[in-house]
Amino acid sequence: MLDLTELGAWFSDPENWAGRYGLWNLVAEHLTLTFVAIVVAAIVAVPLGVAIGHLGRGEFFVVGLGSASRAIPTMGLLFALVLVMGVQFRELSVVLALSAIALPPLVAGAYSGVTTIPPWIRDSATAQGMTAWQLVRHVELPLAAASIIGGFRIAYIQVVSTVVLAPLVGLGGVGFGIIQGLALRNFSQVTASSIVIIVITVAGDRLIGLSQKFLSDRLGKPKPLETS
Amino acid sequence: MEWFIANWTFVAGLAATHLSVSVVPIVVGAFLAVVFARVTPTRWVNPARGVLGAIYAIPSLALFVTLPALIGTDFTGPTNVVIALTIYVIASMYFSAHDAFHQVPRPTVTNAESMGMSSRQIFFHVELPMAVPGLIAGLRVAAASTISIASIGAVVGVRNLGYLFIDGFQRKIPEEIITGVLAIFVIAVTLDAGLWLVGRLMTRWRFVTVDHA
Repeated sequence: MLDLTELGAWFSDPENWAGRYGLWNLVAEHLTLTFVAIVVAAIVAVPLGVAIGHLGRGEFFVVGLGSASRAIPTMGLLFALVLVMGVQFRELSVVLALSAIALPPLVAGAYSGVTTIPPWIRDSATAQGMTAWQLVRHVELPLAAASIIGGFRIAYIQVVSTVVLAPLVGLGGVGFGIIQGLALRNFSQVTASSIVIIVITVAGDRLIGLSQKFLSDRLGKPKPLETS
Repeated sequence: MEWFIANWTFVAGLAATHLSVSVVPIVVGAFLAVVFARVTPTRWVNPARGVLGAIYAIPSLALFVTLPALIGTDFTGPTNVVIALTIYVIASMYFSAHDAFHQVPRPTVTNAESMGMSSRQIFFHVELPMAVPGLIAGLRVAAASTISIASIGAVVGVRNLGYLFIDGFQRKIPEEIITGVLAIFVIAVTLDAGLWLVGRLMTRWRFVTVDHA
């Protein structure tokens, strides 16, 4: 059972926070891997999702990608890519695998953000003489913003969870504390590390959720008319 | 392919373990999600969504190894994995189960009431059948993710298909990892198709075409 004194002792020992495998370093590594992978995926996924939504062509691709990604184990994807690309490109292959994991929710978020815009809004923009690019830039992107961020939210959860397994392929991240702790039967380290992972994941999820709410309040609703 | 042919009995054994640690959470989790979705008072629905959403976000390996601290189970072995997967199924299906019951049209329920059906009859003969499409949709999502997430149980010593990832990586056999990925993919897709079929067979009345001639 949970031994709070042991856990407190683990957290208050400065040894566990400093150095290459200290918590600070592992958390930084965890978040950096997550961030880089999501940014790389977003560069491809968001324009792709918006384009599919805008053109109304290729929905089957989004749906297929979504259901296929659910059935493919992220752990296997990570391990296979690192092994096939070779351990000398470890960082690159891990980032690529993580980006592949982030891609489907990002595409889906951008796509559904654009397609759920009521047709009369797009029609009135076109009727005002907006070009296709203006329609995307000034109508579709702002209205889809909240849904795009929603895609980031799911991608973050997926990627941050998979980075937990990165130590198994020779990288760091907070999962290191779990993997090493299990091997050494240092269970307070295992519990402490998993608590840190849960905090990182849930806090990040909430943070993105707040920005999503902020954005949809700012951009998703038409501004009230100035009456004076 | 050659690797799979040479080792198919081994893979089949792992697949059997994989199924046994996934099916129990899917069945028990789905049942509990439906029960919870039915008994939650309206004002608790939003808080419940918040809590379950946060639980659903917890990385699986972290949840596997947090359970021993909370309920005193062993750190390794299938117990934590089965419990954790059940929790994920509940967290993911709760929303769809709630929506599925919410979408049953009020007039239909009122009609059943005025025909003198008891609340129990209404539940089993009206609400539950009408909620089947939504419940099956939620179950399909939960089942596919459970099959896929179960592989991470291999890290805490469950000898399922995820073991092929760890073993294949350590022995540098890409075919072994790819076999694992494909096996999980095939199981998940088969289960998904099976559930789709079950949902269709359970609601045959939805697909009856009435001849108005």
